[in-house]
Amino acid sequence: MTEEWRLLETGLKTAAENMAIDRAILVAHSQNKVPPTVRFYGWNPPAISIGYFQNLNDEIDLQSCKQYKVDYVRRITGGGAVFHEDEVTYSLVIQENHPQISKNILESYGHICQAIIQGLFYLEIDSKYAPINDIIVNGKKISGNAQTRKYQTVLQHGTILMDVDVDKMFRILKVPNEKIKGKLIANVKERVTSLTHEKNEKFTFKEVSDVLRMGFEETFDVNLEHGELTEEEKELAHSFEKDYFGSKEWNHLR
Amino acid sequence: MQTKSIYKVPNGKLIKIFLDYNSESNTIASIQISGDFFAYPEESIHQLEEQLKGKQLEKNGLYDLINSFVQKNKVEFIGINPESLTEAVMRCQL
Repeated sequence: MTEEWRLLETGLKTAAENMAIDRAILVAHSQNKVPPTVRFYGWNPPAISIGYFQNLNDEIDLQSCKQYKVDYVRRITGGGAVFHEDEVTYSLVIQENHPQISKNILESYGHICQAIIQGLFYLEIDSKYAPINDIIVNGKKISGNAQTRKYQTVLQHGTILMDVDVDKMFRILKVPNEKIKGKLIANVKERVTSLTHEKNEKFTFKEVSDVLRMGFEETFDVNLEHGELTEEEKELAHSFEKDYFGSKEWNHLR
Repeated sequence: MQTKSIYKVPNGKLIKIFLDYNSESNTIASIQISGDFFAYPEESIHQLEEQLKGKQLEKNGLYDLINSFVQKNKVEFIGINPESLTEAVMRCQL
């Protein structure tokens, strides 16, 4: 019988809420309280997330964040700074001992990214995994992904760019050398793409999350059943938001 | 003395080291290892930073310390390795 996993569509939330929910699912699933879970979500207001090991002040101009009303948050996953605006974000939470999850972390990145690649295929976009943690179309990045493993459980989250405003992104991201900022922006514009750019049409969040859902179902040979966060997960998320992702201690950790 | 280095690991990620070091004794007062890499478990980076405190800013010694820390604690790095971490720290030396 085909395995059933949970599908969550939690809409647009703040950066702190989004990161708190991913962590709450991670904890709940590690305790066998909920099935493996795929979640699709977005960000409102737009936000910058930084990797767990990044230095906040070195990566982000906090004044500009305030000025342009952009949220910021430190993730529990490593990796780089990501500007979240017009995108579909996914997370997958699954125990490490699941037969579909490789003990080899890099291999598991590749396998989970395959679900995204498969989904994009339904939009007639031919993409491929580019180690360590990117998915590319014609050599340009369309998706970034990051994974952590805690309590013998994998959390991988990532973004699929629907559209991207590189100039806006660079108003908020700090660059090591202001003199070459223009060049850096041009460089990023050349190396990053989006669904809108590739297909020359606008997709809705729902159109993209629907194909990604199929991508996950086929790649992992499972049925994704619509579900909700449990009361316990909501409470956990609330406390994580307060104690971690919405707190200065956490976001300014380094 | 506060110093900083940015080191792009060949075929890997970016390491940014923030170092406070004592130039007279050539030792590390405190160190922050930051960047867009991955390390499992994540907490190991904090532990490594603690272990580096007070150590000589000397390539072979640092490499041995980092390498044995990684082996002993079964740390898994993606996008960095003990060699590149050592290199990034050494680049802080003025």
